[in-house]
Amino acid sequence: MTTTQTRSAPTGARPKPPSKARSTVALLATAAIVIATVWAVDARWERFPAIFTEAPTYISLMVEGLVQNPLEMPWSEYWTKTSGYMFESLQMAWMGTVIGALLSFPLSFLAASNVAPRWVVLPVRQLLNIIRALPEIVLAIAFMIPIFGLGALAGTMALGIGSVGTLGKLSSEAIEEVDRGPVEALRATGANTLQSLRWAVVPQALPEIVAFWLYRFEINIRASAILGIVGAGGIGSILSQLFNARLWDRIGITLVVIIVVTVIVDQISAAVRRRIIFGSARPSAEMATGPVEVA
Amino acid sequence: MIEFRDVSVTYPNGTKGLDGVTLTIPDGQFVVVVGLSGAGKSTLVRTINGLVPVTGGELTVNGENLVGASKRRLRGLRSRIGMIFQSFNLVNRVTVLNNVLTGRLHSTGMLRSLLGWFSADDKERAFDALERVGIVEKAYIRASQLSGGQQQRVAIARALAQEPQVVLADEPVASLDPPTANAVMRDLQRINRELGITTVVNLHFLDLARRYGDRIIGMRAGKVVFDGTAAEADDAVFEEIYGRSLTAEDVAEREPGALA
Amino acid sequence: MSAPAPTAAVTSRGRPRKPPPSIGAITALVVFVAVTLWSAIGVEFTLSPLIVNLTRGSDVIEQYLHPNWEILTRPAVREGFLETLYIAILASLVGCLIALVLAMLASKVSAPNTGVYQVMKLILSLVRSLPDVAYGLLFVAFVGSGALPGILALIVFNIGVVAKLTSESIDAVDHGPVEAVEAAGATRFQRGRYAVLPQVAPNYLSYCFYVFELNLRASLVLGFVGAGGIGEVIMLLVSRLEHSSVSAVVIMLFAIVFVLDQASRAVRRRLT
Ligand SMILES: Nc1ncnc2c1ncn2[C@@H]1O[C@H](COP(=O)(O)OP(=O)(O)OP(=O)(O)O)[C@@H](O)[C@H]1O
Ligand SMILES: [Mg+2]
Repeated sequence: MTTTQTRSAPTGARPKPPSKARSTVALLATAAIVIATVWAVDARWERFPAIFTEAPTYISLMVEGLVQNPLEMPWSEYWTKTSGYMFESLQMAWMGTVIGALLSFPLSFLAASNVAPRWVVLPVRQLLNIIRALPEIVLAIAFMIPIFGLGALAGTMALGIGSVGTLGKLSSEAIEEVDRGPVEALRATGANTLQSLRWAVVPQALPEIVAFWLYRFEINIRASAILGIVGAGGIGSILSQLFNARLWDRIGITLVVIIVVTVIVDQISAAVRRRIIFGSARPSAEMATGPVEVA
Repeated sequence: MIEFRDVSVTYPNGTKGLDGVTLTIPDGQFVVVVGLSGAGKSTLVRTINGLVPVTGGELTVNGENLVGASKRRLRGLRSRIGMIFQSFNLVNRVTVLNNVLTGRLHSTGMLRSLLGWFSADDKERAFDALERVGIVEKAYIRASQLSGGQQQRVAIARALAQEPQVVLADEPVASLDPPTANAVMRDLQRINRELGITTVVNLHFLDLARRYGDRIIGMRAGKVVFDGTAAEADDAVFEEIYGRSLTAEDVAEREPGALA
Repeated sequence: MSAPAPTAAVTSRGRPRKPPPSIGAITALVVFVAVTLWSAIGVEFTLSPLIVNLTRGSDVIEQYLHPNWEILTRPAVREGFLETLYIAILASLVGCLIALVLAMLASKVSAPNTGVYQVMKLILSLVRSLPDVAYGLLFVAFVGSGALPGILALIVFNIGVVAKLTSESIDAVDHGPVEAVEAAGATRFQRGRYAVLPQVAPNYLSYCFYVFELNLRASLVLGFVGAGGIGEVIMLLVSRLEHSSVSAVVIMLFAIVFVLDQASRAVRRRLT
């Protein structure tokens, strides 16, 4: 061949391109929903431009609070007070995670189909699903505040119970994924069920389960900030007060404290999780990344 | 003594794993089971410790009937039978010593086994077992950090720690290279000779079967088709066990290569 | 390996010594105990309200266990639910579209250069460090209360979640097609459009449905700070101590989330 031509004459019927009807319909349907929604929602869109005038004003007010000498009164007090609330949020998140871990650990075995019989697995899974559907704020308002009164303890208990659903589900999945081989080997030595759980199942699943606990801790930090809004302790309580009083300089300080503490704790927790899963500081995989699940 | 009397195994999905097997394995014998994939070798070995339930006939190990044995009795029986697997089945994240100690769980109380407080006696037995397979220096290393051959030795030590009367091995060397496979087989043979433990091994490699087996049992479609000494098991016998189709396939596979 | 060793002759000769517990394990234990003590003291942890006075608050809980279904027929409640739905739809759509672009910039595979990639990663982790309720408070202050601040707050929140998840999916994409398209002389944009996007599209779509569900749930909290939706109704009922009505509305919200979740699963199955 001397030319670079690679085309050949058409030799016969070519396949018809597949219909694009489905994606077109999907696109049109989406557009219709958007238009209908924008039209139906009473959002008072005309206020939207205000964001371009208001936001810079308020942000500069916040920055003003941030650039003050943090060692001088009253700024030093603002920083320490805010940090105190944030630490309370951390304490709630940690204690909530500990409670969630303690309660979910036994439940996760009962929810694992390779450990418990079906008639146990199904109801336990259902229980975990129900807990998973309940947000912490509902648990706080409906159960924990009536029992424990306003304050951090109610928030802690709400986080703890709220964690049981996800932790139980994720842990039971980790248990279901263990290698059957060692379990069978222990059965063959004459070990009983509890012994083979302890020596064949737990060693395999525990690192992952502990990583889930840490992951849940990261989520609980964010959740604990929300609980303050209903009076269940933590940084959320001061946040809504400050916004009501429009104390922008202190709002700036509060937001910065939340961001800095959250990012630092996330980084530490992610590093520990990586170590637990991989046994070294090798980065990779989903488990090693930050939390996204909020519900 | 292990006695099969017309033993059949039908799996829940209807597959016949064993079909009327009658066998007697006297104490201290080294038995090698050979056969095509799917012939029922694993099934045969696993019925001996009740990992696969017998659905017909009678099976006794040292006079104890396995058919219809209670869970508790079955556990007691299993504690006297060690088992070695093709994929080692060690708990990877646990030390070698603790893996071997799991062979002592059958006589360890609930609280002690939960906390990992094994008695000094049990530790002594575990070390002893590790010495027998020559890897005592790895006792405190995680099992996952060992080579395949070393892992299989740990598995043998786990079985030895049970102080068993019988050792079952389901293709113990199928995932190992030939020199390592020979070394592991020698370990098994030595243990059989030194401690007089009855040993039943499934093998895929015919040369290993001849070299180490006192007695060779050939299986096909769930039935015993050969039962004799290694000397009696000549090429003709193996052809019989594996069927002529295998030889034909071998030739067919070689032909394109020969042409090229 | 000659004669079998008699059991009496067994010595500990040649046996390894048990290594001391690792420094890492000890540190972890100490840190765990210390942090747990610090937290327990900080939140004044006690279970005594459960034991000492089990009936405390039982009348409130009682009301929650007997929902007042009639409340659901009120027009304000119906409008609240509709507003929640509108907010969730608009916020997920806009948020997911912006998130797709940012995700492309936040993955090593598709970012124009490492600088952009690192800055984007940082921005996204900052965005995610604030809870949705903080965005709600901010936007209510910026544009006044109602559905608009709710939409804006959830857009920012969705960007944080979807961009992060999608950028991770992009990181994990098969490099073969990317190289093939590059070898054919494609531009950076074409590479993203034809080699990366098709691979992550199913994941991306499922993340979008996922945040839609999160947004329905978030409306509960956002309403508490004046950012529209059914949460505003719930807050009003809570402040009036109409617990059985709160219960009915919350249960209804979860019924809606459940039904929409099932519907979106069906849609997803058809799309992928
Ligand atoms: N758990 C099971 N459920 C159903 N059928 C099974 C099960 N285990 C084995 N079988 C079937 O029983 C028959 C004998 O299987 P077995 O595992 O004993 O063969 P094998 O000789 O060990 O083969 P291989 O060399 O491949 O290990 C096969 O047909 C197999 O498909
Ligand atoms: Mg087999």
